[in-house]
Amino acid sequence: MEYIIFTLKSALFDFSRNKGRTFLTSLGILIGVLAVVLLTAAGLGLRKYIQQQFELLGSNLITVLPGNIEEGFTSGGPAFGRINFSEEDFQKLKRIRLIKTVVPLYSRSFTVSSANDSKYSEVYASTADIFVAFNQKAEYGKLFTDRDVDKRSKTVVIGPKLGEKLFGSAKKALGQAVKIENQSFKVVGVTESKGGGLTSQDLDNAVYMPYKTAYVFNTSKIMMAFYVQARNEADIPEMKRIVEKTMLENFEEDEFSIVEQKDLISTISSIFSIVNTVLVAIAAISLLVGGIGIMNIMYVTVTERIKEIGIRRALGARKFDILSQFLVESIILSLFGGLAGLLLAYIIVFFVQPLFPAYIDTFSVVLALGVSSGIGIIFGVFPAKKAADLSPIDAIRYE
Amino acid sequence: MTPIVRIEHIEKTYELDDAVKFTALSDVSLTLHKGEFSALIGPSGSGKSTLMHIIGLLDKPTKGKIFINEKDISNFSDNEISTLRNEFVGFVFQQFNLINKLTVIENIILPTVYARKDLAYDPVKKAHEIMEKFGIAEKAKSYPNRISGGQQQRVAIARSLIMSPSLILADEPTGNLDTKTGNEIMKLLKELNEKENITVLIVTHEHDVAEKTKRKIHIVDGKIVKD
Repeated sequence: MEYIIFTLKSALFDFSRNKGRTFLTSLGILIGVLAVVLLTAAGLGLRKYIQQQFELLGSNLITVLPGNIEEGFTSGGPAFGRINFSEEDFQKLKRIRLIKTVVPLYSRSFTVSSANDSKYSEVYASTADIFVAFNQKAEYGKLFTDRDVDKRSKTVVIGPKLGEKLFGSAKKALGQAVKIENQSFKVVGVTESKGGGLTSQDLDNAVYMPYKTAYVFNTSKIMMAFYVQARNEADIPEMKRIVEKTMLENFEEDEFSIVEQKDLISTISSIFSIVNTVLVAIAAISLLVGGIGIMNIMYVTVTERIKEIGIRRALGARKFDILSQFLVESIILSLFGGLAGLLLAYIIVFFVQPLFPAYIDTFSVVLALGVSSGIGIIFGVFPAKKAADLSPIDAIRYE
Repeated sequence: MTPIVRIEHIEKTYELDDAVKFTALSDVSLTLHKGEFSALIGPSGSGKSTLMHIIGLLDKPTKGKIFINEKDISNFSDNEISTLRNEFVGFVFQQFNLINKLTVIENIILPTVYARKDLAYDPVKKAHEIMEKFGIAEKAKSYPNRISGGQQQRVAIARSLIMSPSLILADEPTGNLDTKTGNEIMKLLKELNEKENITVLIVTHEHDVAEKTKRKIHIVDGKIVKD
């Protein structure tokens, strides 16, 4: 116990005497740990964000997309696939018994304007079931119905943020008219806000429109995707098979893709994991540089304290005692940097969180502290060995 | 009389540049007995400090054998030698060689931190007893660079005593002190020898200092010329 106290005290004394140097030495590790932890937190946040996006779409869902998803997103993304779906496909899918609902989707960005203001927004054209799939409810007014779809009524439901932007408040938007491509549409409802986070901002600014009404823009009457919901999870594999068979009647095998929600999440997650791993690896280089900084300083420290080492050896300290003393110092130095980096990362994540769901998991805490003390050991061992191997008499005579 | 350190035909040479050899000690044999109070006298460069370092196991001879309590230590490992330095010898240096970042009491108990055996006493309590005896008790919490040279040397002697060694090696212990303080330090060492029967070897070039010891070993040019 006394041994530990003496070692720690000796280390802390040297650190407090060289505050500036200690700080600069630890700074290398601080930056390294900060970079690694922050990037990991951003990666985790991104994955969570994507998952949230998909969870919005309810459960037991499969998505039918044009293009071959196996070829990856490089070909421009499934939304820009070579083919498009049609009303005919929609009606065919609707007849499948296992399916609870089929939600067709046509979406495109337009400038949406009121008398006062305008905003570039995403317009989602679909059936009334889109509100079930997107998990949306009306805050003011009502949602459009399938009757509105059949009647091609010129009505829209808008997100609360868009209402606020165009009419001053979400409530005032009700009953007003918005203009899209010189066509006028009546706002019959405003959806509930999904609240903070990037996730819901898009939907809070969205315009929902009966898909048949949208034929005024969508002149070739295409559909970009179908969200197909099963009655229960167990039916998904069978439903998927039937949907595939149905689609094959009109399309080649590589012209469309059927994606289960969980597949999509895992595909996207794995892409981001790779990107994130590369980024973290790059950040880890700064940890290495920090470690070399510690080694450099420990060499200087050993040289400065040769006489002290000699005295300790004369009093009976073994090589191991000297080695452990210097190792403890370099571990403290790098652990201090690691903890400070971690603390700073927590502070940054705390302030970023309202905007982006980044978070620090236990694993990266353990990793950051493990790696920084590991760096202390690895880069401290050479200077410490040098100190321990000094001949006692040469050391004690050193001025 | 019981021999505690016996060295036989010790030679110490240093390799200088261009393969020139410098002989610091040649064929030195010497025995120190239990309870002896001796001085190792010689002019500077005579090899007396080298000899002290070899006796104190801080340095290794080029040739010759060292017996501690009649045991040949030629084949001892670095750890075993360290333990002997810790338990068997206490050093007192001209430069005091205290560690300035540790307090007086911490300096005194530092050797016990490196002890590999169970001590029969409480180091802190023992340190206080010694400090009391040496008149430095009120300096326990002070740092070495805040106290006088005489007090520092007392701290160094206290440190050399904490492990109850058989031998105290003092290298010019009065060299950095004024005559009055030097005499007090010599008196202290003599008392330790007489009352506690500790073997004391003082290395000095001052005949005044040597006069206070019982045995005088003269060394010139790396050889013992008179004992």
